[in-house]
Amino acid sequence: MWRRGVLLIKFRELKDILRRSFVVILFIASFLFILISKVDGVVVETAHGLVMDATGPIMQVVEFPSRIIHRVYTYFYDIGRIYTDNRELREENKQMLILQNKVRTLEVENQLLSRLLNYTPPEDATFISAKIIAESGDNFTHMLLVYIGDEPVKKGQIVLGNESVIGRVDKVSGHYAKVILVTDINSKIPVVVERTRARGILAGDNTVAPTLLFTRETADIQEGDVVVTSGVGGMFPAGLPIGFISSISGREISVETMADISRVEYVRIVDYGLSNEEEIRKDFFESKDDAR
Amino acid sequence: MHRIPLIATLILMFIFFMPINSVRLNYFRPTVGVICVYYWTLKRGYMFSYVSAFVVGLLMDVYSSSPLGLNIVFMMLLVSVINWLARYFQSASFNVCWALFAAVELGQILLKWLALTIYFGRLVVLSEVMISYFSTLMFYPLIVCLNVWVQNHFLPQERINE
Repeated sequence: MWRRGVLLIKFRELKDILRRSFVVILFIASFLFILISKVDGVVVETAHGLVMDATGPIMQVVEFPSRIIHRVYTYFYDIGRIYTDNRELREENKQMLILQNKVRTLEVENQLLSRLLNYTPPEDATFISAKIIAESGDNFTHMLLVYIGDEPVKKGQIVLGNESVIGRVDKVSGHYAKVILVTDINSKIPVVVERTRARGILAGDNTVAPTLLFTRETADIQEGDVVVTSGVGGMFPAGLPIGFISSISGREISVETMADISRVEYVRIVDYGLSNEEEIRKDFFESKDDAR
Repeated sequence: MHRIPLIATLILMFIFFMPINSVRLNYFRPTVGVICVYYWTLKRGYMFSYVSAFVVGLLMDVYSSSPLGLNIVFMMLLVSVINWLARYFQSASFNVCWALFAAVELGQILLKWLALTIYFGRLVVLSEVMISYFSTLMFYPLIVCLNVWVQNHFLPQERINE
C-alpha cells in the first residue's frame, strides 16, 4: 500500500516534469518557426498548407452567410446609385467612343511598326478566377485566402481585382492560396509613374495607402498620377495599373490603390508566363555561383 | 469535455475571419482569438492548455501574413500571464476582468508591434493597430457572453452569471 503511494507520487512528479518540458518544447518550436519563416523554408510552407487545407472547407461554409449579406447590401446600395451612375456612364461612354477611335488607329499603327521591327509579341496571359473565402485574422497584416480548386497556381503570381493589381500569391496549398495585398507590410512592388516614367518601389505599410519609396528627389510626381508596375525584377509584367498618387508631403508619397476591394468577391490570378519568385531566386544564386 | 473551450474559440475565430470586403472596415475586426484565450484561461485554466494556445496561435498565423510562430508565442505567453493572474482575478467582477483584458491586450499589442518592427526592419504603423485594439475592447462583452453561454450549456458546474 505504502509502495503504491510512493509510486503514485513519483508518477505524478514525472508527469509534471513531462508537462513542463512539453511547454518548453512548444515555446522552442514557436521560436524556431519564426526563425525559419525568415528563410521561408519547406517546413513553413508545409505547415501553412496543412492548416489551410484543413480549415479551408470550414471557411467556405462560414463565408456563405457573409456573402449573402454583402450581396443584399450591394443590391440596395446599387439601386440608390442608379441615377448618378447612369449619368456618369453616359458621360464616360462619350469619352470612350472618342478613345475607341484613337485606339483603333494606334492598333493599326502598332501592327505596322511591329512588322517592321520583326517583333514577337509575348504569349497571351491566362488567368483563373478564385473566390475570396477569408480575410486577415490579424490586425498587423492584410491578406486574403482564396479558393483555387485544382487550378495550377504558383507562388508569386499576380492577383487582379476588377482590372488593377491587388496583390500577389504568397502561399499555395492543395485547393487554397494565400494572397498578400499591396497594402500589406510584406508587399514590395517595383512600379513606375505612368506620366513621367519615374521609378520607385511601392511598399505596403498596413495602411490603406501604401508608400512610394526610392524615387529620385528630382522626379516629377504629382497628385493624381497613375502608378503602374514597372516589370523590373521579372516578377510582374510591366504596365499593370495599381493606383494613383493620393498625397505628397516632402519625401513621403502615398498611393491610393485603384481596386475597390469592397466590390471584389472573386479575384483573378494571372499567369503571364513569367518566372516565379523561386525561379528568380534560383537564377540569381546560379548566376552568383557562375561569377565565382 | 476538455476540448470544448478550444472548439468554441476556433468556431468564433472562423466566424470573425469572414470576408467583409473592405480594407477600412478590416481595421475594426476584433482579434477574437485573444479574447477567447484570455477568457478561458482566466475562468477555466485547467481546460485551456498551452497546446490549445498553440493551435489558436497557429491558426492566427496562417490567416495572416505575419511570420509563422509569432502569434503562437504571444498566445502561449498570454496563457502564462493569465495563469499567474488567475490567482487574483479568477472570481473578479466582469468590469474588473474587462479592465484587466484592456491592460493585457495593450501590452500584448505593443510587444507584437515591437517584434514585427524588428522582424521587418521598418516601423510598423501603430495607429491602425490601435483602432483594432479599441474595436477588440468593444467586442469583448459580446465574445464573453458567447463564451459564458458555452460554459453554462456545455460545461459542468461553476455556473456563472455575467
